[in-house]
Amino acid sequence: MEWLIDKWGIIEALSPFMLQGLWLTFQISMIAILIGSAIGFTLGVAKTAGFRPLNGVINLYLHLLRGSPYLVQLYIVYFVLPATGIAWLSFDSYTAAVVSLSLYTSSYVTEIVAAAIRAVPSGQAEAARSVGMTRVQTYRHIVVPQALKLTIPPMASIYVIVIKSTAVLSVIGISELTRQGEVAIMRMPGDIMFIYSLIAAFYFIYCYPMLRLSKWAEGRFGSVGGADT
Amino acid sequence: MMWLQDYFNLRLVLEYADVFAQGIWQTLWISAVCLVLSLVLGMGLALARASRNPLIWRPVAGYIQFIRSTPLLVQIYLVYYGLPLIMPAGLLFDEVQSGIIALTLHTSPYMGEIIRAGIASVARGQIEGALSTGMTPRQTMRHVTLPQAIANVMPPLLGQTAVLIKDTSLLSIIAVFELLGAGLLMFSETVVATESYVTVAVCYLGIYAMMLVLSGIVQARLGGSAWQAN
Repeated sequence: MEWLIDKWGIIEALSPFMLQGLWLTFQISMIAILIGSAIGFTLGVAKTAGFRPLNGVINLYLHLLRGSPYLVQLYIVYFVLPATGIAWLSFDSYTAAVVSLSLYTSSYVTEIVAAAIRAVPSGQAEAARSVGMTRVQTYRHIVVPQALKLTIPPMASIYVIVIKSTAVLSVIGISELTRQGEVAIMRMPGDIMFIYSLIAAFYFIYCYPMLRLSKWAEGRFGSVGGADT
Repeated sequence: MMWLQDYFNLRLVLEYADVFAQGIWQTLWISAVCLVLSLVLGMGLALARASRNPLIWRPVAGYIQFIRSTPLLVQIYLVYYGLPLIMPAGLLFDEVQSGIIALTLHTSPYMGEIIRAGIASVARGQIEGALSTGMTPRQTMRHVTLPQAIANVMPPLLGQTAVLIKDTSLLSIIAVFELLGAGLLMFSETVVATESYVTVAVCYLGIYAMMLVLSGIVQARLGGSAWQAN
């Protein structure tokens, strides 16, 4: 009983900071998924256009982002870009976080959008072309709308990847959920395990429904593979 | 070429070549140990998850969901700070061991899910055929189901291995010396960001390129009937 009261006291004392951290986590992950989706959608559509030099460039971009850890990408955006001496590349930590996370997200989205467009049966595009639609019209009115439906399940699981990646931002001093927990531990070093469990619980409450949504959407809209979370 | 030196001083990087070589070696062996451990543990999780006894599969399913819904960094902290509390006094793990434990605990559910998908992909007739020739369920699993299951899921297993190698970079936060740790060391001593971090990224990309080549070889070698099944 005493243990419960003790821990409840900690939760009460910390919850304003934790919620603040959760809000920042939500904010950054939302911005990153929006910008990342916009870039990823553009690149994904461009990738299926079948223009070889462009494909090479996009694939290089994807390999660069997929081949190195996100933490290294974050360090490069935060430490290396300012060292180039170009003024507008000297990001503050918040901008660096958003920029690197958006780029990282876009690599996932590109592959999913490309896979979804390829998954639309070719008869759809052929039929559209044979009734006299141009290539652009076919994409715009026939292929892309059907493909978008297929991207819903993998997009939910990518959103979970993005949320989990925001934890890494604590190393450049963004006071998101994990960082708030670390600060709380400096105040109450005796309850280190309880506070980390509390952080884990916050992430779980945030991410688990998204994973369930992804699973549900997969049954509803079908799947085109994509990322595993 | 002199202008390039303002941006990337190769001579400085070469001075730290042995540090980076050591970092690469650390990253590779830590990943290898985690890979083996998480395949074993993942296999166990996959079998337990397929059990009909709710006392077995429910906790396992809960564990898998927990790992999938929380960031790796938080899991590393939980293991790093939590292990000493539950371990008997005197038995202490250093950072590398804690890191390996955390990464293994993190990776095995993913490996388990992949293996589970592989087992589900083996045609029923294979299992029925094996059973009807008088093999026990255990023999069927060992000689018929698992070999085909592993062959079917080689690409995602390799993909997850690539993720594992990248995930070792997070161990630098709990002061494990590995590839990113080498870059951090160089940065702290020389304060040249470009050389330190770009070199780290190039090394990771090199490892990734080798993984791509490896998966190409595996695909070519396994490109038999097991692959047409998918």
